[in-house]
Amino acid sequence: MGPSARENHTALRKGICGISLPDYLHSRYAEIFPAGEIKITTETLKSRLNITDNSVTRTTVLAAHAFEEALDDAGLSREQLTSPNTALIGATTVGGMCLTDELYRDANDKGMNSPFLDSYDCSSVFLYLHKRYKMNGLANTVNTACSSSANAIMYGARLIRLGMVTKAIVGGADSLSKFTINGFNALHILSPEICRPFDSNRQGLNLGEGAAFLVLEKEEDARNKKVYAEVKGYCNTSDAFHSTSLSDDGEGPYAAMMGALVSGQLQASDINLINAHGTATENNDEVETRAMRRVFGEPPVFTSTKSNIGHTLGASGAIEAVYSVFNIINQEVYPSLHFTDIDKNIGLSPATTYGKLPIKHVMSNSFGFGGNCTSLIFSES
Amino acid sequence: MTHMFYIHQTSCISPQQTFYNTAIDDLETPVNNRLHAVEPAYNDMPKNSLRRMGKTARIGIGAAMPLIKQVEGFNGIIIGTGNGGMEDSVIFLKEIIEYNEGLLTPGHFVQSTANALASQLSLASLNRGYNITHVHRGLAFEMAAIDTAMLLRENARNCYLLGGVDEISSYNYKLECLDGWYKKEDISSGGFYSSNTTGTVAGEGAVMLLVNNDKYNAVAKVVNISTLHTIVAMKMQQHLQQFLEQHINTNIDLLLSGENGDSRLLAYYANAENLLKNDIAVARFKHMCGEYPTSSAFALWLACKLISGVPLPAHMLKKGDSKTTYSNILIYNCHKGVQHSFMLVSKTE
Amino acid sequence: MEKTELKLLLKKQIIEFLNLTSLKPEDIKDDEPLFGDGLGLDSIDSLELIVLLQREYGIVIRDPKEGRKILVDVNTMVDYIEQNGTK
Repeated sequence: MGPSARENHTALRKGICGISLPDYLHSRYAEIFPAGEIKITTETLKSRLNITDNSVTRTTVLAAHAFEEALDDAGLSREQLTSPNTALIGATTVGGMCLTDELYRDANDKGMNSPFLDSYDCSSVFLYLHKRYKMNGLANTVNTACSSSANAIMYGARLIRLGMVTKAIVGGADSLSKFTINGFNALHILSPEICRPFDSNRQGLNLGEGAAFLVLEKEEDARNKKVYAEVKGYCNTSDAFHSTSLSDDGEGPYAAMMGALVSGQLQASDINLINAHGTATENNDEVETRAMRRVFGEPPVFTSTKSNIGHTLGASGAIEAVYSVFNIINQEVYPSLHFTDIDKNIGLSPATTYGKLPIKHVMSNSFGFGGNCTSLIFSES
Repeated sequence: MTHMFYIHQTSCISPQQTFYNTAIDDLETPVNNRLHAVEPAYNDMPKNSLRRMGKTARIGIGAAMPLIKQVEGFNGIIIGTGNGGMEDSVIFLKEIIEYNEGLLTPGHFVQSTANALASQLSLASLNRGYNITHVHRGLAFEMAAIDTAMLLRENARNCYLLGGVDEISSYNYKLECLDGWYKKEDISSGGFYSSNTTGTVAGEGAVMLLVNNDKYNAVAKVVNISTLHTIVAMKMQQHLQQFLEQHINTNIDLLLSGENGDSRLLAYYANAENLLKNDIAVARFKHMCGEYPTSSAFALWLACKLISGVPLPAHMLKKGDSKTTYSNILIYNCHKGVQHSFMLVSKTE
Repeated sequence: MEKTELKLLLKKQIIEFLNLTSLKPEDIKDDEPLFGDGLGLDSIDSLELIVLLQREYGIVIRDPKEGRKILVDVNTMVDYIEQNGTK
């Protein structure tokens, strides 16, 4: 939806959908499955940041763009960025595997002098950022599938809360890849049309790509600075049911949402808005809403921003955190797109129009493969 | 902070005899420059689950099962893995290429996710608590350990399963070979540390630990962990200096060094040795487990054994005299000349 | 191919495809439910069996839900293969 936070915000307000058939993804499925592709080539993305290192992958350059924007927006000085007390916590599921064909060649000994040998794993993305920006603090990479960057945000927040670091730059990145589109197709959960979260006729998810970072610090240190929101509560649980689908009663999502409320010392009734995981798969949307009812009785307003950008996998937690922050600072709800018919198994509908709303607390959910469930709460500060 | 956590139970599948009992005097040596794990019979695995497991998941769960059976439960699962899922990723990739993106089996894709192990562990133990996978390469285990320490500060009475697991995936081996990380000459018959050439030997292993805040009957205490990213040997030295100053009253009696035979990394290890007092013994462990991102977990397992009185095998001792038991062990590991970790492990009071 | 031969072949293929290393063909009864209480397969296995049917027998099943109606036990699978197989 845009190469900057501001453009994303404008697009959300206008209900713009960034999902279409991919132009740059080299896959036969690019003609079949719509995706939230960033319509800029990797080469252009690299040149905009003057990156000439040819080992840098698309995932990494997307991360670098978002990282730069976050640094700029937070006004971090060089001293603060390179302080040993500033941590970098990143997340990705694809890492350098966006280079599907190159990995195949290198791993089967068919390529000599490949520039990517050190770039295929997840940590390569954040090792690159840590080095490029000459950071000296703790660095980490998390991969828990679709909840990855939500968990990265949680890890960073806890490091600060426990006094182990004073600042944490947290976020995630993922790019479209032949690898993931084939994997999700093998699971039969991709939709051949633009996804319809919570809709009765939903047919599955659309993949997406993107990156987002947030700069976190302690309340006391942020006193005289521009503060967007507070990371108020968080919780991670395991559904312990199956590797790719959630249990019928949604125990994992339920426990994650309840745990986030407890950690934020909030009641269910304090939540004004939920940015749902809302992938538009039959299983997720039904189970997530069931779990929402268990927590809230009558759930508050909820939307799925995956209807705008698709499922950005490891980046989704961080991107949706930024969107939740937009909700708070602008006191508004963005329409959940492509919803027309209530699913009788769900009995709820997301918000489908833009509107102003008093918002103090937003809950953002991310549920990953392997039953990894994370719920974060962002609050007005 | 007086401690990060106390270790109560340990389990280890490694290239040495470490699973059924600890028989580390007799050394298993590399074959074709690889140290493959000695795998147990896996009699305890959940029914029909082995079929769905890549090697990382198999040895990880294999190592965890004895711990899962021994306790009533734990509150969460925290795993560090550098390469977990890589083999299945490339198998799935092969299918993509071979079938030209036709209809593919999802099994290997699902198994290729790095958190497959942590999720299978939660299924095997029916654990619905905190579940996470850290994948920061040579510091993946350290990040998992720090996460666990934070959890124990947040939930003082809880108990967690902490693990570090990696496999020698055939594909990863090729990538690392092409990138110059393994020896070109055959190391099987000796010369692991003395060859003075670049590269090392590939290894793998799974270490699982049950940890909590309770010092009573603990096997060992992890006092502190610190990490650093630098290629500059001087910076590494300064960082270690600061770490030692934080523990100036601790009498470190052993440096457990991650020296791995790669001549390019000797400067870092030499710095570590030189910073410690001359009478402190130095032992090495990489010839036992091989090089892999979470090998520091194996070092921690070894430290627990040494602290509880298992004699230090002669083949580990590089310098100094061996003692019957150790009280304060400093583990230093350097991964690919960039990531450094320092762990202080002590006997419980 | 005779029905009994096909059943044996299919059982071998199921074992190999799903990596059921602890089983032999004679361990799978013709009418033993593949899912639920019998063999205890799950949704990922059903997707894998759909791939098996396509690769080995040329049968295309587009909707996994429809597939479950065919993948009840070895008998139903063999019947479907005999009626629809192209290889």
